Amino acid sequence: MPLQPSRRSQRGLDWFVFFVATVLTGFGPFVAVYLTSQHWTQLDIGLVLSIGGIASLLGQMPSGALVDAARSERVVAGLAIVATGASALALGLWPVSPVVQVASVVQAFAGCILGPAIAAISLGLVGHDGMGERLGRNARFASLGTGAGAAAMGASGYLIEDRAVFFVAAAFLIPALLALRLIEEKEVDPERAHGGVEGEPCLHHRAAPMATVIRHRTLLIFAGCVLLFQLANAAMLPLLGSILTMRSSQWATALIAVCVIVPQLIVALVSPWIGRSAQRIGRRPLLLLGIAVVSLRGILFASLSNPFLLVAVQLLDGIAAAVFTVLTPFIISDITRGTGRFNLSLGFVGTATGIGASLSTTLAGYASDHFGSPVAFLALAAIATAGVALVWSLMPETRPGTAKLSPPLTSAERIRQS
Amino acid sequence: MRHITCTAVFVASLAFGTAAASAADYREKLASWLQLTQATETPGEETAVPAPSEAIATVLDEQDVMSVLGLRVRSSTGEDMGRIINVVVDGTGHVRAAVIDFGGFLGVGNRKIAVDWNALHFAPAGSKDDRITLELTRDQVKAAPEYKDGRPLVMLGTAESLQPSPSSE
Repeated sequence: MPLQPSRRSQRGLDWFVFFVATVLTGFGPFVAVYLTSQHWTQLDIGLVLSIGGIASLLGQMPSGALVDAARSERVVAGLAIVATGASALALGLWPVSPVVQVASVVQAFAGCILGPAIAAISLGLVGHDGMGERLGRNARFASLGTGAGAAAMGASGYLIEDRAVFFVAAAFLIPALLALRLIEEKEVDPERAHGGVEGEPCLHHRAAPMATVIRHRTLLIFAGCVLLFQLANAAMLPLLGSILTMRSSQWATALIAVCVIVPQLIVALVSPWIGRSAQRIGRRPLLLLGIAVVSLRGILFASLSNPFLLVAVQLLDGIAAAVFTVLTPFIISDITRGTGRFNLSLGFVGTATGIGASLSTTLAGYASDHFGSPVAFLALAAIATAGVALVWSLMPETRPGTAKLSPPLTSAERIRQS
Repeated sequence: MRHITCTAVFVASLAFGTAAASAADYREKLASWLQLTQATETPGEETAVPAPSEAIATVLDEQDVMSVLGLRVRSSTGEDMGRIINVVVDGTGHVRAAVIDFGGFLGVGNRKIAVDWNALHFAPAGSKDDRITLELTRDQVKAAPEYKDGRPLVMLGTAESLQPSPSSE
């Protein structure tokens, strides 16, 4: 029987999630600004960002498999965050092409590992029964960490110089490692962490075959839901930002800042509630809510023109983001219960997320160039509506004890298939 | 894990050391390079191929010139107008426009906008970040169409800046 998680471990995980989010904020928008200030051409910057993007797409499933194979999630998470910090340092010190390319690829792979590793530590620590509550806390601290990171790095970039951002990002590595040390190794059950069966000390080679897990019907349907959500959601904020820049000069920057920051605060506020509600009333109603909100947002963006109303509508983004941040690992942990392939499945759905998000901006950019932004928003709303239909018609409730879920892979089935 | 942290700190200190050393004897290197080019350019052989025009090295002090890519642009009232990310020339090589990355917050909502090169003013001295001023305000620039490859260029300028470029005369 695994130990009950101590307060100390829970707190350690809270702050590890916080500081990981802080370090990761140092990448993203700051890289483009920094390389621009280092006289890089747009072509070269685009190349670095694309290579990083492709690496983080391709890295998802191998990273998931790696985390599943690991015996200590803490060591894996520690190495990944050190690699992230080191690439931040390298970016700040040597803004030359080979270093930047390697650093962005290393960061992309490390980022792919950190997500599943945190989910695995969470599951290993609290087990399936406490997972909703735990994931709510994770989402809250990640969101606060992103906010704190953006504030710290934005300020250092503005007040000191652009490269200072990366030294600040690397410095947050130290509290991240300290927080990780607070988590008691023996409280993180490695079998539970991978979605294995408790009390059945199965060796790793007895985990369900990879192909069977990925072809699991509910997992495929859920990956489809996530893909449609990202396809509809990812381009909305960039498109809105562009419109705000165009329509309002004095307030543009402040309004865009509100659009970016306030949804983060909403995520921090509502995530624990979403985690608890998903445990109590089930995952499906919340999933429907999360994706329906995107559809509503698209329609409102297409029909409103007052910048202040647009910003108000953008606040709905916080609800959708909170739902998907909490529910994605939660639903996957339900589906993979007893398979030992929790993190591989996270990587699989993570790939769907990445594909959806990158197609979204391309699609919305094309639509807004050729037909105007209202058409682009309506197209995104239509995709979200298709997502609502998919959840409504095909996605079963995955909460244990509900009959609709297609049966999880039992030990007997695993033996038969192997 | 502690070992890895130590290694990171060590690598960082190493990097600072090399950066300081490389700046020191730059002047000497430059001088020797100039001599070298002069030596190789002295014509010695008689060949049928026309000799290439003589290469002349000109040294400009870093106070007098600057690389404009990535520099910040301000409006005459001091508003932040973004950074220069590209420079556009016409068929004869005359600079026509600068592309600036305008507006936005944390990478959200920024637009690439082309402005007339003649509407930019370059201050000769002062801190590098404040040397470029654009004669337009944020309000005038905000709605400009975005600069995109393969599209006709729409560049913003002022009445004074709209003088025909020397090449088109």
